[in-house]
Amino acid sequence: MKKFLLRRLYTSIITFFIVITFVFFVIRFTGDPLAELEDDPRITPEVLDKIRALFGLDKPIHIQYIDYLVNMFRGELGYSLHYKRPVIDVICSKLPYTLMLLIPSITLSNYIAYKLGVECGWRRRSTFDLIVSSIAFTIRSIPYFWLAILFLYIFSVQLRITPLFGAISPGKGGFSLSLDWIMDYLWHYILPFTVLTLRASLALIPYVRNALIEVLEEDYIVTAHAKGIPLKTVKYSHVARNAILPVITIMGLRYAFLIDGAILTETVFSYPGTGKVVFEAIINRDYWLLQGAVVILTLSVIIVNLIVDLIYALLDPRIRYR
Amino acid sequence: MTIKVKLGIYNLKVITKEFIAILQLNKMTKIGFCIFTFILLLAVLADYIAPYNPYERVGPPLSPPSMKYMLGTNDIGQDILSELIYGARTSLLIGFTAAIVGTIIGVLIGLASGYFGGIVDEVLMRLTDAWLSIPTLLFTIFLVALTSRITLFPTIYSIILAISLTSWPGTARLVRSRVLSIKESPYIESALAIGASSTRIMFKHILPNVTPIIVVTIIMTTARAILVEASLGFLGLGDPTVKSWGMMIHYAMKRNAIILGMWWWFIPPGILISLLVLSAYLIGIGLEEYYNPRLRRI
Repeated sequence: MKKFLLRRLYTSIITFFIVITFVFFVIRFTGDPLAELEDDPRITPEVLDKIRALFGLDKPIHIQYIDYLVNMFRGELGYSLHYKRPVIDVICSKLPYTLMLLIPSITLSNYIAYKLGVECGWRRRSTFDLIVSSIAFTIRSIPYFWLAILFLYIFSVQLRITPLFGAISPGKGGFSLSLDWIMDYLWHYILPFTVLTLRASLALIPYVRNALIEVLEEDYIVTAHAKGIPLKTVKYSHVARNAILPVITIMGLRYAFLIDGAILTETVFSYPGTGKVVFEAIINRDYWLLQGAVVILTLSVIIVNLIVDLIYALLDPRIRYR
Repeated sequence: MTIKVKLGIYNLKVITKEFIAILQLNKMTKIGFCIFTFILLLAVLADYIAPYNPYERVGPPLSPPSMKYMLGTNDIGQDILSELIYGARTSLLIGFTAAIVGTIIGVLIGLASGYFGGIVDEVLMRLTDAWLSIPTLLFTIFLVALTSRITLFPTIYSIILAISLTSWPGTARLVRSRVLSIKESPYIESALAIGASSTRIMFKHILPNVTPIIVVTIIMTTARAILVEASLGFLGLGDPTVKSWGMMIHYAMKRNAIILGMWWWFIPPGILISLLVLSAYLIGIGLEEYYNPRLRRI
């Protein structure tokens, strides 16, 4: 197990290096990092040269790359031109909103997908399976943002039971533990959360179902039935227990899709999380903020995948006892 | 005179025959094919069937649906129905091109990695794993946003480039696993024995055997590429010189069409995107079942 986890840790670090190297080269090869300042009439060429020297942009590219790596590990991601604050501050102030959306959403959607997927696979080709599978299939083709817009249109505009935008009503102030504040938070929370969870769980169901069907054909399931083990035990302890292993890796990968979903969902509901920051960075052409969001969100994906690997190692006895 | 178009080991006759067999296999594939043909026709015949020129101001801005403007007009007085019809072109063009380019990258990496093994495999697979675990849309956004620093605004080409650069890892993994098993076949050994070069073995002996997978992945990647293109458009990263469904929803959102209840502006583009993606998925599943009969039992 130690060997497996060390190997995974090594892969994660390599992944992170590949990603930040890629980000660095894309940024450098698409133009001068200070191009936005050059247009500013208040900044003379001499000042610009000084800024260039200050940020080390006059050094050769490989030195810049090393500087970049060092800064990355010190958590210095640059300065947001729009917010006039360090990128790391902006993202850290928004990250709790996104994590509060993503973590419950990924947990609940995995649970729903597990339950429904097992049911579909166990009763394959039944009416239940047909209905759930076709819904899952259709929802997969609907763009995230449009699904969110539909929800917003139906529940907030037509039925007027949910708010139109934001995470907190204006004037409610900052975080507090009062009942009033929490109710207001949940009231704003429900729509984006539903959209994310719905989409994520339905996307996962076919994987669980197909994995389960593959296990159903194994000899040990026939043996289990022959021994007269109660159906429920066979279903959950023999079939589902073995089918879930390959799916767990996919659950980790789905987190990355959930981030894509969060960018779109938060934009539709004007939810002030990291996804909305990505949208604002595009609109305001705030490339440092965009770069920071890419790095932090990718890092979170890598960490989640490591946790998923740990869960996998604990669940798979072949790895646990090695 | 018979027309013979050679595509690997396939010719036109075989393709037509297979095509009919695929359509007969699955009712859903037939439906998917019909939807797809409908949208393809919209795109091809846009000049003839669109009631107005979508780039011109033809009526009062923000007018609701009427006999004259079937789906109303947008904020600058362009006919929404015409915009929708022309949008089909952008979606199909970007979706297909990005999927083909992405699949080519994936196939090349998968072939090289599976065939050479060793250090090449290690390096390429680390790269693939890294690419597989990153949020696709986020990276596409990043690429399009930054390349538009050079081109001033996102263009069709930068969007295609970004989508294809982020859509290859799945294909590479799939192709690699197939190549690994094909590599052990006796005919590869014979080819090696008579002194065939690596390039020849890869492209003449292995590639034709991976063709079915490639066809399926192109279709599946097209579906995903269309979704990504629409999402980019929605976030304001579409090419402003052409009409696209994602961009239409972006402008509708920007002008508060949702809060004002102007459903004719943001509902139809979403339906078309969903239908196009759904049809691609249906065709892809039909193809998958055709090439892999084991799936039919599921």
